[in-house]
Amino acid sequence: MMKIYIDDREVHVEKGMTVFKAAENAGIEIPHLCYHPAFPPEGTCRMCLVEIEGLPKLELACSTQVKDGMKVHTKSEKVVEARKGVLEFLLAEHPMDCPICDQAGDCKLQDYYEEYGLFENNFSESKERREKKIRLGKHLIHDNERCVLCRRCVRFLREVVGTGEMGVFERGIATEVNILDGMPIDNNYSGNLAQLCPVGAITDTDFRFQTRSWFLEKGEAICPLCSRGCNIFIEHHRGFSRFDLPKRVYRISARENAEINSYWICDIGRYGYYSLDENRAEKIIANNNISIKNYEAVLAFFTEKIKRLLYKKKTSRITLLLNTFLTNEELFLLKKIFQDDLGIKNIFFIDPPAGESDAILLTSDRTPNKKGAEELGFEITPFELGNLADETEVLIIFGNYIAEIFSLSDIQAYFDRIKDTFLFTPHRSELDSKVGIMFPTAMTPEKGGSLTNVDGKIQKFSPVLEAPGDGKAEWKILAELGTKLDVNFKYYKKFLSPEEIFRQMQKEIPFFEK
Amino acid sequence: MSLEFSDKTKKTIDKIIARYPQKEAALLPVLHVIQKEFGQISEEEEILAASLLGISQVKVREVVSFYTMFNRKAVGKYHIQVCSNLTCTLMGAANILNFIEEKLGIKPGETTSDKRFTLSTVECLGACEQAPSMMVNFDYHGHLDKEKINEILDNLE
Repeated sequence: MMKIYIDDREVHVEKGMTVFKAAENAGIEIPHLCYHPAFPPEGTCRMCLVEIEGLPKLELACSTQVKDGMKVHTKSEKVVEARKGVLEFLLAEHPMDCPICDQAGDCKLQDYYEEYGLFENNFSESKERREKKIRLGKHLIHDNERCVLCRRCVRFLREVVGTGEMGVFERGIATEVNILDGMPIDNNYSGNLAQLCPVGAITDTDFRFQTRSWFLEKGEAICPLCSRGCNIFIEHHRGFSRFDLPKRVYRISARENAEINSYWICDIGRYGYYSLDENRAEKIIANNNISIKNYEAVLAFFTEKIKRLLYKKKTSRITLLLNTFLTNEELFLLKKIFQDDLGIKNIFFIDPPAGESDAILLTSDRTPNKKGAEELGFEITPFELGNLADETEVLIIFGNYIAEIFSLSDIQAYFDRIKDTFLFTPHRSELDSKVGIMFPTAMTPEKGGSLTNVDGKIQKFSPVLEAPGDGKAEWKILAELGTKLDVNFKYYKKFLSPEEIFRQMQKEIPFFEK
Repeated sequence: MSLEFSDKTKKTIDKIIARYPQKEAALLPVLHVIQKEFGQISEEEEILAASLLGISQVKVREVVSFYTMFNRKAVGKYHIQVCSNLTCTLMGAANILNFIEEKLGIKPGETTSDKRFTLSTVECLGACEQAPSMMVNFDYHGHLDKEKINEILDNLE
C-alpha cells in the first residue's frame, strides 16, 4: 500500500496501479475517450492529462503508474487549459452534426465540450470531408468524420472477440479506422461496437434516427435469451411521447457485471428485444363455448377444474408442460403446488431448441433458468407428444414452444383427446385457437424474481416494463392458485411478492440460501 | 492466381522470420522483400505476407498503408518522390513539383504511359539541409532547380 495525493486528497493505492484507476477509486473523474477498463491503456486521445508535481510536462493518467507520495492535480489551471487544447484539436476535424447524431446525449465529446471547452472555432480552414456511411457489418454504420481514432473498436475486435476485422489505416490526417473491402464484421458481438464508441462514429442501424437518447429510460434487467444471465439495460420510452410510438423498447445495452458478462452482451441478446413488443398476447382467449372475460373468472374456472380432480383423487390426470424461462420463484411455486400438494408426476419441459454456443458469453441454452429448474429438483424431461397419455384430462401449458417443435396437426390430434387445455403465454400463436383458454402472461423484464445462470449464480431483478393488456406474471397467478386450492391456504397467502417466495425457497432449499 | 516466390527469396524470408522471437515482428523486412520481388504490395501481396506470418490481412494493411515506402500500386522504373513538407516548401518545392509534372506530363500518384516514371509527393525525406529535395528510387537529390532536375532525369538510363 502506498499513499498518493490527488487534488490534495490522500488516496491509498496499490503498487502498479495507474493514476487514472487511483482517481477513479477515490471518486475523482478524469475525462477520457480512448481509455476503457476492459483494455490496457492506449493513450491516443490525450484527454486524461494530469499535472504531477515535480514532472515538467503533463502526464497521461491512464498510463502513468503511481509512486509513493506522488502529488497529482486533475483540475489545476494548467490541466484545464491543456484539456481545452486537446478538445480543440479533436473538434477541429469533428463534423458537429450533433443535431442528427444518435450519440448526442450519451456523447463524451459533447459532455467534455460543455465542461472544458465552450470555445469558438479558431480554425478558418474547412474540415476534411470523409466517408460518413461505411457499412461495417449487419447492424453497424461507421462515420469517419465523427471518429476520434480512440481505437476502442479495433481493440475490442482483437482482444475480446478475436476476429480483428477492423484496423487503423493510412496516416496523418488521412488516418481512419475501417474494415477491408468485402470483409464486413460478422460476429455475434458486433453490436457492442456501437455501445463502446465514445462518440457517434459507429452507430447501430437498429437504433439510427429512431429516437433521442434523453427520451429513454434505462431499466436494469437480466437477458433471458441464454443461460449466461448477462446484465443489461432495457432502454425504453416512458411517459413521454407526442405520438403513438410503434414500440416501447428502443435499445438493449450491456450493463457491467465483472463476474458474468464484463462490459459486453452478444447480438442475440442485444437485438432480441423485438419479442417484447411484437405479437404479444394481450387479451384472454376462451374457446369451446367457454364464456370468460376477466382474470378472476379464468382463475376460478382453472381452480375449479383442478379441484374437481383433486376431490376425485384423480390428479394423476393432470399434465404440466413447463419451460425454463420461468423464474426460480415461479418454478418453486409450480413444484410446491403441482408436485408436492397435488402429487402430479406428469411434469415435462418444453424449451426453444438449443442453439450454438461460443467461448465468450453465449451458451447453447436459449432460456435463462435451466440450472434453476435443476436446483429446484425438477428433472428436465424432454417432452414427446406421446407423453400426453390418453388419461390426461387437464393439460396446463406454460409458453407456446410446443408449436415450435411439433406440427400443428399432431398437436391438434393430441389436444382433441384432452378435455381441458390451459395455455399461459406471453405471445400469440396458432395454439391460441386450439386450447380451451389462453391466458396472457408477462415476459421476463415485465416481472420480478430471480434466475439461476449456467454457473449457478442467482440474480434477482425487478420489473422494468408493464405487461401489456391483461398480461400477468406467472408467480402472481400461481400464488393465487395456491391459496384458492384450499390445500395449504396459509402457506401461499404470504406470497405477495417474489421476495417472499424467495425467502421461503431459502428456508426449504439449501442451494438458494447463499 | 497465387503468387510464387523464387527459391532464393523463400530462403531469405525464412531467414528473416527466424531472426525474431515472434513471427509478426518480421512484417516490415518481409514486406520489403515481397515488394522487391513483385514490385508492389497490392491486396494479393498483403494476403501473402499475412499467411507467411500467420497474422490477419488487416494488420498487414495497417502497416502497408502507414509507410510511404510501400507501393500499393506498381510504380514505373523510376519512382520520383518529391518532398512537400515545410522546409522544402519554403525553399520552393511547389515549383519543383510543377516543373516535374509538366516535364513528365503526370500528376502525383500517376505513372507515365511508358511505365518509366512514377511521381509521388512525400512528407519529409529527412534531408532539410539540402531542401528542396527529392528521391529517385533510392538516390537522394538536393538543392534542386529546373536545370538540375533536367540533368538528373535526362541522364537516367
